[in-house]
Amino acid sequence: MPLKILVTAKRVEDSESKIKVNPAGTGIVLEGLKFKINPFDEIAIEEALRLTAKHGGEVVVVSIGGKEVVEQLRSPALAMGANRAIWVNHVGPMDQLGIAACLQKICEKEKPDLCILGKQAIDDDQGQVGSYLAEALGWSQATFASKEESLESEAEKSKAPAIKLSADGKSVTVVREVDGGLQTIEATLPAVATTELRLNQPRYASLPGIMKAKTKPLEEVTPASLGVDMTPHITVVKMTHPPARKAGIKVADVPALMDKLKNEARAI
Amino acid sequence: MAAGINRYKADLRELFFVLFEQFPFSEVAGKGPFDGWDDETAKAIIKESYRFATEVLGPLNAVGDREGCKVVDGGVKTPTGFKDAWKQLYEAGLKQIAVPREFGGQGAPTSLYVLIEEITCGSNTAFNMYPGLAWGAAEVIAECATEAQKKKFAEKMFNGVWAGTMCLTEPHAGSDVGSAATRAFKQPDGTYKIKGTKIYISGGDQDLTENIVHLVLARVEGAPAGTKGLSLFIVPKHRVNADGSVGPRNDVALASIEHKMGINGSATCVLNFGENDDCFGELVGTVEHQGMPQMFRMMNGARIAVGIQGLAVASSAYLNALDYAKDRKQGASFKNWKDPNAPRVAIIEHPDVRRMLLELKATVEGLRALVMKLANHRDHYHLLAGKDDDKAAYHLGQVDLLTPLVKAYGSDEAYRLCGTAIQVYGGAGFLKDWPVEQYARDAKIFSIYEGTNHIQAMDLVGRKLGQNGGANFQAFMGDVAAFIEKHKGHPVFGKEIELLGSASEAVVTLAMGFMGWSQTEKVGLVPLTANRFLLAMSQLAVAFVLLDAGVLADKKRGALSATDPDRAFYEGKVHSAHWYARNVLPQVENHVKIAMIEDETPTTISDAAFASA
Ligand SMILES: Cc1cc2nc3c(=O)[nH]c(=O)nc-3n(C[C@H](O)[C@H](O)[C@H](O)COP(=O)(O)OP(=O)(O)OC[C@H]3O[C@@H](n4cnc5c(N)ncnc54)[C@H](O)[C@@H]3O)c2cc1C
Repeated sequence: MPLKILVTAKRVEDSESKIKVNPAGTGIVLEGLKFKINPFDEIAIEEALRLTAKHGGEVVVVSIGGKEVVEQLRSPALAMGANRAIWVNHVGPMDQLGIAACLQKICEKEKPDLCILGKQAIDDDQGQVGSYLAEALGWSQATFASKEESLESEAEKSKAPAIKLSADGKSVTVVREVDGGLQTIEATLPAVATTELRLNQPRYASLPGIMKAKTKPLEEVTPASLGVDMTPHITVVKMTHPPARKAGIKVADVPALMDKLKNEARAI
Repeated sequence: MAAGINRYKADLRELFFVLFEQFPFSEVAGKGPFDGWDDETAKAIIKESYRFATEVLGPLNAVGDREGCKVVDGGVKTPTGFKDAWKQLYEAGLKQIAVPREFGGQGAPTSLYVLIEEITCGSNTAFNMYPGLAWGAAEVIAECATEAQKKKFAEKMFNGVWAGTMCLTEPHAGSDVGSAATRAFKQPDGTYKIKGTKIYISGGDQDLTENIVHLVLARVEGAPAGTKGLSLFIVPKHRVNADGSVGPRNDVALASIEHKMGINGSATCVLNFGENDDCFGELVGTVEHQGMPQMFRMMNGARIAVGIQGLAVASSAYLNALDYAKDRKQGASFKNWKDPNAPRVAIIEHPDVRRMLLELKATVEGLRALVMKLANHRDHYHLLAGKDDDKAAYHLGQVDLLTPLVKAYGSDEAYRLCGTAIQVYGGAGFLKDWPVEQYARDAKIFSIYEGTNHIQAMDLVGRKLGQNGGANFQAFMGDVAAFIEKHKGHPVFGKEIELLGSASEAVVTLAMGFMGWSQTEKVGLVPLTANRFLLAMSQLAVAFVLLDAGVLADKKRGALSATDPDRAFYEGKVHSAHWYARNVLPQVENHVKIAMIEDETPTTISDAAFASA
């Protein structure tokens, strides 16, 4: 049964850039930062491509943001092999509820069998959108999708999807990463899955893929056209760097150290 | 995978500058043969290539160096991870970027290809030898072979299914290719039997591909001596069945591999052809004795590629040294040199370390801009080919003229700059814990293979200066003169433009000197002075492209706010141009002064007088 899969591609700060909080403490300094696709989303796209390679179907990728997000939609998302893209053109603040609402509206129109999202984005580490989306749609959810095999395994080398479609095409089996182990669940379609780092190793956007991405369909919509109010429910009050570590001190001998550990640090 | 840590670094902002600002990609992209290309795609490809290089190739660079290649069961075993990287490289399509579309490639402009080549090469020079030679050999077949041969070999080689080599060197035929003793015997069915030994063959054997297509220079029975009697043969490691599949082994045997100073991950092989009188080969094309002109098709591209190898390694050496210099604390600022309690500073604060870093920066950027100038001429030539004869001839002429400069100056500077990068580190640079010592070892070969740098210098003074009745050289000097005329009295580069003027006059003087010498009994001065001339002309050319970049950057920085990171970038370009013009350009006049002394001591000294031992 061919699958229609919706995936997300958030543009995030490259973890190799040096992130600085702006002097007003309202956000980070964007000048000079490098950006890339959220690595969890990249894994979602890879999984979707493996599933459609096996079962046929279509991968639609969505990103929300200003015109700069088109860069991540084209490459790597479309260049990796997604079939088409939807760009929700929105400049300004947004929170997880707004994002989930946009995705909900798009899902209602596109009617995918499966949504695969990153379990979180590496910029603000919220990890909420997938579950909000499943709740809003009333779909089953399978968060933290991982796999039993390692990333060095034969299964991974053969690029087999880790999310398994049932024979009747009505559900998927997902191995979830939970505290201290793995849990296998079956989720009825349509469903929302979110990805762990160990789900797969995403492919590189190939050069022919990058060339082809230019001509793939990219639809522009706005929150207003979707009927979504993006006014955030959450306000960022203040942003600060983690406190710098205090300089260490030298102690004279081991008894002095023990004393400090016991009475000052109360570590022992 | 026993992958190590990536150490490769590139400054993508700088790559974008040369490609989109100094030599605008949009002038050639999207037109004629480059239809379908644009800035956005080029940018995405550079970013993706860099990611591939740092994640896949870079982590294998030190692994390849430490493990090296081994001979197992009569075949070469390449270092851990190389086979997987080969597969990934071709899946990602990076090596097919400039491959003609009829062979399944993307037909990219050379100006984009050279930057991708810099990235793949810089992250792992030794690994990149294999796909580099496969590509070069495929190009010869694509350009010179019969349709049937193109079908049978070229497409597979371009796409990494099979690899390729170039087999010129023999024990008694190194620089003197014409002494090649490998022979070819024509068979009744039109094929040839090949017999002989080739040495130093890069990628002569490996375990990356199911077949290797050797391009072998050999002499058909009865052919004249010297280079004119050489023909080029396609000699596959495995014969190829009629349906294109890989057949039984051909009589090509791996005799041994060399143990080397650098590029240890690249197998350098001794190959025996026809030990059992059963080595089959096909003539490239249909006409015998065309071996040298055919091989030269590959060699020009390969010489440019060697210049890029130099640029690539030197560039990463620079960026690594820069990082280290920001991190390593040692000594107090020279402003506080009398105060023993002054705070320790990062070594980048020391003027001499800054001098080394700026020398690295300016020279690396100059080499890159020179490569880009060459690539840009090549792209324009391809756009014009067949249309405007004069302009096309001009662009092709510049490619020819600049090729020996890129190869020889690029490689000599690379080795020297790697030494400077080690110096920035101090003792740490000498250790295997840091990447720069490997860079230095890897870089040494660049001045030797693809024609030693003296062969390049002789090519420059013996062929290129007088090529087209001297028109190529005159056109180059004309471009320099026009630039000087245009920017005379420039508020930021006035003095430097003057220095460029004196240096260009000096280069012309020495070029004239060569003409004088070659017609008299002083002809012996030509080989004695050729390397110096190549150096002088390269320094002039690099100063020219750096000042061109500097003028552009100066214009652009004006419009930016003080905190815009692009402002610092453009200021860096202005400093590179200032530094090179002030510290290197004046050397050009000195080179000419020295040449004009007409010193012949190296040839007048007797062998016995060199040493009494
Ligand atoms: C790692 C490595 C990889 C290689 N890969 C390949 C390959 O894939 N295929 C291949 O065919 N070859 C390859 N070579 C061979 C390489 O191209 C030769 O080493 C090179 O051309 C020089 O030849 P030679 O070593 O015989 O030195 P020689 O020719 O003996 O030169 C020794 C010195 O004499 C000088 N000299 C020689 N002749 C003259 C002259 N007429 N006038 C003035 N000076 C002269 C040279 O400049 C040099 O300084 C490789 C070599 C190495 C080390």
